[in-house]
Amino acid sequence: MANIASQRIKREFKEVIRSEEVARCSIRVELLDDNYSELKGEIAGPPDTPYEGGKFQLEIKVPETYPFNPPKVKFLTKVWHPNISSVTGAICLDILKDQWAAAMTLRTVLLSLQALMASPEPDDPQDAVVARQYKEFPEIFVSTAEHWTSTYAGGPRKKEEYSKMIEKLMGIGCDMDQALVALSSCNWDMNKAIEQIFG
Amino acid sequence: MAELLNIILNIVRNALRMLSLGRPAIDNSLNINIKCSTGNTLSVGLDPEWDIGEVKNIIAPKLGANPKEVKIIFAGKELEDSIVIKDCDLGEQSTLHAVKLSKSFVKPSSGQLSSVIAEAISDEDEIAVLQETIDRAGSQFYVHCPVCNDLRLGKLRVRCSKCKSGAITVDTDPKSWSDVLKSNKISGHCEQDDCPDGAFAWAEFYFKCTEHISQGENDEAVPLYLLRNNFKNIPCLACTEIKHVVFVFPCKEAHVTCLDCFRTFAVLRLRERQFVLDDAIGYTIACPAGCPDSFIDECHHFKLLTNEQYELYQRFATEECVLHAGGVLCPQPGCGEGIIVDSSCDKVACSNGCGYVFCRKCLQGYHLGECNSLDNASLSDDIHHITDPARAAQARWDEATNVAIRVTTKPCPRCRTATERSGGCMHMICTRCSFHWCWVCQIEWSRDCMGTHWFG
Ligand SMILES: [Zn+2]
Ligand SMILES: [Zn+2]
Ligand SMILES: [Zn+2]
Ligand SMILES: [Zn+2]
Ligand SMILES: [Zn+2]
Ligand SMILES: [Zn+2]
Ligand SMILES: [Zn+2]
Ligand SMILES: [Zn+2]
Repeated sequence: MANIASQRIKREFKEVIRSEEVARCSIRVELLDDNYSELKGEIAGPPDTPYEGGKFQLEIKVPETYPFNPPKVKFLTKVWHPNISSVTGAICLDILKDQWAAAMTLRTVLLSLQALMASPEPDDPQDAVVARQYKEFPEIFVSTAEHWTSTYAGGPRKKEEYSKMIEKLMGIGCDMDQALVALSSCNWDMNKAIEQIFG
Repeated sequence: MAELLNIILNIVRNALRMLSLGRPAIDNSLNINIKCSTGNTLSVGLDPEWDIGEVKNIIAPKLGANPKEVKIIFAGKELEDSIVIKDCDLGEQSTLHAVKLSKSFVKPSSGQLSSVIAEAISDEDEIAVLQETIDRAGSQFYVHCPVCNDLRLGKLRVRCSKCKSGAITVDTDPKSWSDVLKSNKISGHCEQDDCPDGAFAWAEFYFKCTEHISQGENDEAVPLYLLRNNFKNIPCLACTEIKHVVFVFPCKEAHVTCLDCFRTFAVLRLRERQFVLDDAIGYTIACPAGCPDSFIDECHHFKLLTNEQYELYQRFATEECVLHAGGVLCPQPGCGEGIIVDSSCDKVACSNGCGYVFCRKCLQGYHLGECNSLDNASLSDDIHHITDPARAAQARWDEATNVAIRVTTKPCPRCRTATERSGGCMHMICTRCSFHWCWVCQIEWSRDCMGTHWFG
């Protein structure tokens, strides 16, 4: 890994460790290798959102060309959000693409992701199905996102009704993830979900 | 045995050292050209310990004058009699100007030009600090020297903008880079006998390399004025190290990188084809922090790259100029000749290059009738068929940059620049033309298109 990139990340790593956000347990980073090319990040779901109470893990890959090019970041924790792929965890955020500037840091990235979780931009979606639900059925969107948060990120809010539907699908041979994805993307319509899985 | 040998060697060395100490300095005379206002030039060896008064004694007879009537000018200032040569910042083969006084009044000079120049920093404290730094380190201007073909320290010199004679005294000292780089900012008095502007002349500043012996008055270096001594100890924006010499970007915040990081940044953006062709400046880049109005406006700064990289820079710049002018680049592998085309005709021949004849629209071999749909070619999985001339253009770039183009890249639907897909996101943004497009459909990015291949 290029010297510039690792040196820079080393300093940023210390910056995050000492930041007040870490003190408040709002963000965290962890090294995965000695040469600072791969890190694991964690952000707390922002308050007053369906992600509240969840901890979301991020994969952060630092390219050799850092900081002139952005780090490659994706969610490891499954999340239901218009700008984050519910399948791959890929993120649609301008500062991770063409709006990146060399003066930005790991800390700005993590805080921007937190801000993105709090205010989705459904007009530039990463996940079109989630985006459509967000716009057309906002209440279903909120309870679905809460359900995902409690299932994958340790959040507190889970809908009993949703859990039962998932169990039903698991009873006919689906695994849990598959059932949750199908039901979520069909706005919790059991018949449509079955059709999507088996049809 | 070896010990004895060492002792003897030491004795010999000490003896030699004592000998050389006692010997008067003879070989350090400076060869200087003295250009007289009468037109002839004298080449003289000057003892660095002499003062200007002694120089005048030598020169006066050649001018047919008495020493009191002679004025010696260097770098825009008259040198006083008491100034000693070695304090003049003269290099080997420098040129002094000797003028016979007519009736013109001799103004007291305020010392050496280069010690007074300050950078364009508004804060007065900073100027004071800067002044001190310059006094301590000696004035340091960084230049690109075409003779050494490298980054060098430069010396600021001045001449008459009309007759180009160095026999000019300036009325005021330049205070900023803009005084030096822009014309008609500093006035002066040209002493050249036949100068049309004589009494009121504009000073023209230029730089000389300090590291090779001057090859005459036309031997100039290009000022790299974005390079500064890091007297404020600002850490590099990219690697955070505090380096002695830094690159200061021309943005409002004056962001700073070290030279290594500047090179890394420039080469990276060059290879990504993210340089921009600006009508006024040329092929350039802006501050890496994304600041507005921060283009590097002196392209010689890219001479900080290696020769090979600079050649690539020049080639891409030329290509960009051709495209800008509505031309096309020959798509044949290894050719890439820029061709200005007649927009009413789709048949393009690479007549100055390889001779290939191709279609202006699809860059395939010339054909009659409609072009084969681009999608047929680009949707195929095999991105590597070299026989496709449209792709061959990219292969040239590929070859130049050593970027492996695999299935992780697809050509931009608008300009066909290979674009890498990162992080599984289907939303692509072309690094060259900023076109937003979809990885799957290879057409302009749209919400509708997202819905149809969610699991793509
Ligand atoms: Zn030189
Ligand atoms: Zn003149
Ligand atoms: Zn640096
Ligand atoms: Zn800047
Ligand atoms: Zn050709
Ligand atoms: Zn065609
Ligand atoms: Zn493009
Ligand atoms: Zn598409």
